[in-house]
Amino acid sequence: MKTLEIENVHANIGEKEILRGLNLALEPGKVHAIMGPNGAGKSTLSKTIVGHYDVEVTEGDIRYKGKSILDMEPEERALEGIFLSFQHPVEIPGVNNAYFLRMAVNAKRKHEGKEELNAAEFLREMKKYLEMLGMKADMISRSLNEGFSGGEKKRNEILQMLMLQPDVIILDEIDSGLDIDALRAVSEGINMMKDGKRSFLVITHYSRILDYIKPDYIHVLKEGRIIKTAGSELVAQLEEEGYESIEEEA
Amino acid sequence: MKPIELANKSLTDAATLLGVDSTSPALERLLAIGLPSKKSEEYRYFQVEKLLEETYNTLEYVPHSIEEGEKIVIVDGIVTHAPKNMRVYYDQCQAMDMTHFDPMYYLGHLLSPHVIKIDLDGDTDVEVEHHYTKSNALINYRIVLSNQANRHATLFESFHADNIRDTLVLYGYDVFVSPDSTLRMLKNQKMDENGYAMIASHRLKLNQHANAVLKSFDVGSGMGLQLFKAELDTYAYIDAGHLLYLNKEAQRGTVSKIIHRGEHSTSQQEAKNILDGHTRGIFDALIKVEHSAKYTKAHQNSKAILLNEEAYMASKPQLEIYIDELEASHGSTTGQLDPKQLFYLRSRGIRETEARKMLVIAFANTLIEQVKDHRQQEVIKALFDEAYYGNEQ
Ligand SMILES: Nc1ncnc2c1ncn2[C@@H]1O[C@H](COP(=O)(O)OP(=O)(O)OP(=O)(O)O)[C@@H](O)[C@H]1O
Ligand SMILES: [Mg+2]
Repeated sequence: MKTLEIENVHANIGEKEILRGLNLALEPGKVHAIMGPNGAGKSTLSKTIVGHYDVEVTEGDIRYKGKSILDMEPEERALEGIFLSFQHPVEIPGVNNAYFLRMAVNAKRKHEGKEELNAAEFLREMKKYLEMLGMKADMISRSLNEGFSGGEKKRNEILQMLMLQPDVIILDEIDSGLDIDALRAVSEGINMMKDGKRSFLVITHYSRILDYIKPDYIHVLKEGRIIKTAGSELVAQLEEEGYESIEEEA
Repeated sequence: MKPIELANKSLTDAATLLGVDSTSPALERLLAIGLPSKKSEEYRYFQVEKLLEETYNTLEYVPHSIEEGEKIVIVDGIVTHAPKNMRVYYDQCQAMDMTHFDPMYYLGHLLSPHVIKIDLDGDTDVEVEHHYTKSNALINYRIVLSNQANRHATLFESFHADNIRDTLVLYGYDVFVSPDSTLRMLKNQKMDENGYAMIASHRLKLNQHANAVLKSFDVGSGMGLQLFKAELDTYAYIDAGHLLYLNKEAQRGTVSKIIHRGEHSTSQQEAKNILDGHTRGIFDALIKVEHSAKYTKAHQNSKAILLNEEAYMASKPQLEIYIDELEASHGSTTGQLDPKQLFYLRSRGIRETEARKMLVIAFANTLIEQVKDHRQQEVIKALFDEAYYGNEQ
């Protein structure tokens, strides 16, 4: 069974139709990369999957583990295992990063019928990842994303992913703004999550991250539709010739 | 008694009604200013007439002996407990402010010829618990509070009422902050609809180099207004912070006048208001810098978050300045919770109610975290939770 099936989705932001009959199916254990020009609708697709209030789905369906999720609240989708690493994570002054993350982790554990983690257990769990991601300890005691650099925000997204252990992982330009070391650390985090069951949707403009996270499929998203799907060999062609060269497959 | 009956009375009639001497200067002041109404500046956002038109049972104030306890406990205006070695006693108020803006300050004094005196000796922390047990009653009492020079004292105030209805509480402080001392007054008050309404009218006098920290944490519903006048002598410093979290039909807030009289005096006043339900929040605050108060600093700010379309924030920070040599600022903003922030939290599996609360607390935290006493901070947070979740059902 597919993990996530997106079927003929049409979606508006405001009055404007951004997704125009988009079809895509994520397979268990596979890495799907999405590439496409600016403004094509990549972030809109990711927002649609997680139920962002900006987006209104006018036609089509999205099924997760066989069930339609279009009527589910964003928090329910998250609790069921869908995770989006945002292209632009928002800053929330006054909400402590560690406190927030523990709330999120415990909400998920509770949802799964597991015991909640106390502060000490949580810290122990988190410490494993902080070091790996090269995150300074003070980043976790600060307000959520407040004053974080671009790269620090992205590492914080990956920390959340590692702690929440989701089943579908959508990474919207996780690689933009990362230095070489950060890219390596973040990729390592993502690769740790590969277990043969989880599905990954990696939105990117650059082939570099795909050297670290080997994609199984490359999808080209243009004007609100997936116009081509191929293996990783497509990356080289795109780098060479750009999106103009891609013809929509029948 | 029906307080409204005092309106437009002659001096002799009012004196008879209140059972006081018609030559009382407080009575003269009260009648000169007139009972508060919608037309009075200070009460324009607060439906005071509704409260004054009710008929209340008046209580007999028979001071009884004060038992030893950890805290100062005041039940229906009478002190029942006080810590050992702390000077808490009844006396006449010798130093009334004859230029207070609030008529209820004078009515309070007229109704309470004997005030509760609390002398804070040395470096002290003390809790004051106010309990109200009578329905349909007019509970009135006043406190005169003073501390010692060169000392740091803190007063934590809380309010408790069980199963009472339609009571009106008039109380307030006359506070004398001694030279070179610090007095911190922290108040937390959760009120319910229909329980008791409160008009608290205070007066603070800050001597040279005196520091006063006033923090109020007002949550829940009900009708409550705190009014205070603070006068600052040379190098005096006041830090006032007011948190409001209101729901249901609450009408609550602060009306204040901070007056800089001495040079190099400093005031800062910050209000954070979170309004849910069909509520009205009030922050009507004047900072006045007199000719004599050169090199003053005065900063004032109010921020409000409206969680409901029916909520209304009356925010009026005002500066009145008669000199050039000063540093001053004021501002006021009103807005909603940020939908992007709310979505971010929800996208991590945090339920909407919880996510909203996190953002509301984040907004309030700058004030709550200024309370350095950890236990008191917990008390405030717990009270906030109670008011917040009480409202969800
Ligand atoms: N909140 C919004 N209001 C109006 N238009 C929007 C909004 N969000 C996105 N759009 C529009 O939708 C279109 C698709 O945007 P989207 O962010 O999905 O593109 P993208 O493929 O992610 O681009 P990029 O590669 O630059 O990140 C763009 O034309 C954009 O201007
Ligand atoms: Mg994008």
